[in-house]
Amino acid sequence: MHSSDSGRSEAADAAPVCPRCAHDGVRAVAHSPVPGVWQVLQCARCLYMWRTTEPARRTRRADYPAQFRLTEHDIATAAEVPAVPALRTR
Amino acid sequence: MPYDDLRSFLNTLEKEGQLLRITDEVLPEPDLAAAANAAGRIGDGAPALWFDRVKGFTDARIVMNVHGSWRNHALALGMPKETSTREQVEEFARRWDAFPVAPERREDAPWRENTVTGDDIDLFDILPLFRLNDGDGGFYLDKAAVVSRDPDDPDHFGKQNLGTYRMEVIGRDRLALQPVPVHDIAQHLRTAEEQGRDLPVAITLGNDPVVPLVAGMPLRYDQSEYEMAGALRGAPMPIATAPHTGLDVPWGAEVVIEGVVESRVRQIEGPFGEFTGHYSGGRRMPVIRIERISYRTDPIFESLYLGMPWTECDYLVGPNTCVPLLKQLRAEFPEVRAVNAMYTHGLLVIISTAKRYGGFAKAVGMRAMTTPHGLGYVTQVIVVDEDVDPFDLPQVMWAQSAKVNPKEDVVIIPNLSVVELAPAAQPAGVTSKMIIDATTPVAPDVRGNFGTPAKDLPETAEWTTRLRSLLARR
Repeated sequence: MHSSDSGRSEAADAAPVCPRCAHDGVRAVAHSPVPGVWQVLQCARCLYMWRTTEPARRTRRADYPAQFRLTEHDIATAAEVPAVPALRTR
Repeated sequence: MPYDDLRSFLNTLEKEGQLLRITDEVLPEPDLAAAANAAGRIGDGAPALWFDRVKGFTDARIVMNVHGSWRNHALALGMPKETSTREQVEEFARRWDAFPVAPERREDAPWRENTVTGDDIDLFDILPLFRLNDGDGGFYLDKAAVVSRDPDDPDHFGKQNLGTYRMEVIGRDRLALQPVPVHDIAQHLRTAEEQGRDLPVAITLGNDPVVPLVAGMPLRYDQSEYEMAGALRGAPMPIATAPHTGLDVPWGAEVVIEGVVESRVRQIEGPFGEFTGHYSGGRRMPVIRIERISYRTDPIFESLYLGMPWTECDYLVGPNTCVPLLKQLRAEFPEVRAVNAMYTHGLLVIISTAKRYGGFAKAVGMRAMTTPHGLGYVTQVIVVDEDVDPFDLPQVMWAQSAKVNPKEDVVIIPNLSVVELAPAAQPAGVTSKMIIDATTPVAPDVRGNFGTPAKDLPETAEWTTRLRSLLARR
């Protein structure tokens, strides 16, 4: 059992890497107004965002569904919608 | 009386027994989304859901499923809650004819009570954000109205657009936006990006109940959603000037977020469980930089669940999709009685019509496919007789089971157009289409043995209204 007075230790246990793309650049973007209940974390690469109290299927790499996983290649080659148009010339 | 804000409508829902307060503490995930998902599974009378005890939050006020039943949809338009679906669509069509009704400008908007700007902006401070579906890339604003102007014609009130577009929270002051190329805001953004300029936007959350209806309505590019809201309300729509962008926004909003779509920037967005009952996303989308947030004291966060239909989204876009098809078909074929185009934005449509002569029903089905909306959506049409209510699916299934001789009454046409996101299209954007003629053949089409139908008693319609009314008042 770990201390419940901070979401930090729970987050560190549950999400050392991004569940979706396995990137290790994960940062906290929000903390629960009631201290220590949860944190909202975000992957710096694929922007996936999750709350530390969500089910394991959304928060742990090992449990994250295969069909929603992303690779660095997927992110780099994702379609642009809508496409950036050409600049108008005078 | 029309509702000027979300709060006054929630009061009515509560008085009518159509708002359920969840008093037990719930988890933000998966409880909020699962409860709203469940509301779509418990039948036609589902209530709006109110949550104010959400684990980890101190003062969250979250409402979901506000439009998520025919009862709530009727109340949003000021009709008795027992009004049948068919009557709601007819009344919607009747009010549409009053367009345009000029809005009324008011400057005492309640969202002026609180403001944050610059480095103090943090969406998580103001909104109790949460995830809907397992595969969603993050937390979404999915029931907000986004206002923008045509950069080439910024003073044209009608070209100012109010639309619902999905937005993913990708930072404390940043959102990713999905402007599908056919949407009006995509036209605004394209013009701004061609000029290398940012596009100012105002995002309004927690609106009066008519705003989400008009924000999803397929109006012409230069038609004002505010003037349509006035027509549907039967009274001018109250609007106010957003302080940072000068855009016109609903007076009664809970929260007004202002900023810009950054010019020529795209970032990874999604996926998000969409109205087709399938995820879309994992694409690079435009990004909004938030510069100012105004909000009512103790703001209410309104959201909707969408995923595998039916969900609240289907009630919101159902009548919007039925009404243009009904009007376009009736313009040429006054025999058309009713149109139910509520399945996945009208990918499947059920039409009730009287017949001029043998073969007429199939022609009505083909015409539905060649309407402007039909070109992109209508892939299956079931045509039923004038005494079959197309909104009463057991009746429709009876008509199909009893009246269809498949070899002659099912017509399949290959290689027609459809929206690219239609999951069954192959390749994307192309599909075959089908008409099922479930009407009774009339001369000179003399097939079948339909000489002695058992009809509803002449007094039944009156009794239906009477029973509905008695039940609603129990």
